[in-house]
Amino acid sequence: MLVKQISIFIPNVKGSLAKLTSILVKNNIDIRAISVFDTTEFGILRLVVDNPEETVSILTKEGIVAKISDVLAVEPEDKPGSLDEIFQILSDNDINIDYIYSYVMRMRELPYIVLKTDHMEKAAKILIERGIKVIQ
Amino acid sequence: MIWSNMETLDREAFRKIQLERLKKTVPRVYNNVPFYKKAFQEAGVEPGDIKTLEDVSKLPMTVKQDFRDNYPFGLFSSPQEEIVRFHASSGTTGKPTVVGYTRNDMDTWSECVARMVSMAGVTNKDTAQISFGYGLFTGALGLQQGLERIGASVIPMSSGNTKKQIMIMKDFRTTTLISTPSYALHMAEIAREMGVDPKTDLNLKFGLFGGEGSTEAMRNELIDSWGLFATENYGMSELIGPGVSGECEALCGMHINEDHFLPEIIDPKTGKVLGEGEVGELVITTITKEALPIIRYRTKDITSLHYEKCECGRTTVRMSKIQGRSDDMLILGGVNVFPSQIEEVLLNTEGIGPHYQIKVFKKGYLDKIEVDVELIDANLLDSFSLLEALRNTIKGRLRTVLGIDAKVTLLEPRSLARFEGKAQRVIDMRGAK
Repeated sequence: MLVKQISIFIPNVKGSLAKLTSILVKNNIDIRAISVFDTTEFGILRLVVDNPEETVSILTKEGIVAKISDVLAVEPEDKPGSLDEIFQILSDNDINIDYIYSYVMRMRELPYIVLKTDHMEKAAKILIERGIKVIQ
Repeated sequence: MIWSNMETLDREAFRKIQLERLKKTVPRVYNNVPFYKKAFQEAGVEPGDIKTLEDVSKLPMTVKQDFRDNYPFGLFSSPQEEIVRFHASSGTTGKPTVVGYTRNDMDTWSECVARMVSMAGVTNKDTAQISFGYGLFTGALGLQQGLERIGASVIPMSSGNTKKQIMIMKDFRTTTLISTPSYALHMAEIAREMGVDPKTDLNLKFGLFGGEGSTEAMRNELIDSWGLFATENYGMSELIGPGVSGECEALCGMHINEDHFLPEIIDPKTGKVLGEGEVGELVITTITKEALPIIRYRTKDITSLHYEKCECGRTTVRMSKIQGRSDDMLILGGVNVFPSQIEEVLLNTEGIGPHYQIKVFKKGYLDKIEVDVELIDANLLDSFSLLEALRNTIKGRLRTVLGIDAKVTLLEPRSLARFEGKAQRVIDMRGAK
């Protein structure tokens, strides 16, 4: 019930994202979701792709530090309060969210929300129990 | 294996031989080299004043600048017809330092290197790949002569073309690698990239590293990368080239070939001779060279001397690992720092690679230092705070050495310069306008 995400080390210099995406293009890797926040001299880019293992091995060969980790992807309903519901559940169960980002699959109406928490398995289990749609 | 019985003499025998040879060398330079005659006169000393070994301290010292001032052959004691080989050192600014050898000097040199490689464990059963740059540098040819003398099989590979180095290493079943420590680290990296595990896919047993200083942490890194027995050796073209001293299997300092090189330790500021075990600048007088005998050469290398017998059986004096150079010492906000101290911190920090770059500059009147390192541990990508923590750890450890805060930048692997010869990891921009 967890989704595999790739974390990539990127120095905050001009062209480092372009360098990364050019490697992905060259290897026909499809980006499903991408997220990077404000950085100082360096940051971590999060990526969801179709073939994470292969992608990491390609990136490593190119001298890029990359790692696969598990994240949770949920599909909240399109109504006010649906995100609130998820966060309340996690909070009530003492689960801390490290970061979130969202991504949209074409051909679908609703975005997925990607969540990284301190207790991944527990969070997934609880959300499923409470009727939240978790992407398998 | 102990190559020569000259390595196991008792102290009195050494002193006797050294005094005899010093007494021959001093008049040789006095009579043949105008520079030395003048320097002796200025110091108020004559060859006849050398009566005991301790009298060497009365003699004037020689510095690198003297080679430049007397470029190219002004310090030579032999006429051209007796010279069989020239070498020259890099000389980053201005003229190179030119050195020459007579046939006897070549024999002395090969003998010294033969002892040194034997000390490191190499025998005639070994195949040695020399990955020092050939040409005017003394390193490659010096090692070649000594290795050939003991009957090892030499591959005169030179530096560069790293993928080919790895291929030859594999196909020729190289057991002994001769290179600078930084180039050896780079080669290991390239080998792994080629899908060759330096530890399991190659046959290396010995690594003889020289040409630049290194730290214990760097040695461990070399052992980890290559799975070999790593020794360090020491020399400089002004004295002979490689072969002045080297580590034995006991790894407790570098044995100096004392029957050819008379060492002293001085206080680099006052020039005062220091005692056994005291740390200062190494000063060496060559006592057997013909073409270019050098009196009290200031090596600028900071070390100490130890005379007790080594567990390997040799009695030659040992010099401790070079702690730095009196001239590459950085003064940061009044604190003396050797780049080797910074290296020690970086190499002992998990998560980053062995390559680094240090930049020193002025901001207003203050010294600022920047240290660039390469991140290698992907496990730190789970959260930004782990990366921050790594950076703060490096910063904190550097602070204890430097006394000031360094700006630490994490870079991608392989983004810093790699060196095939001597590494140039420190850029001091304080003098620049």
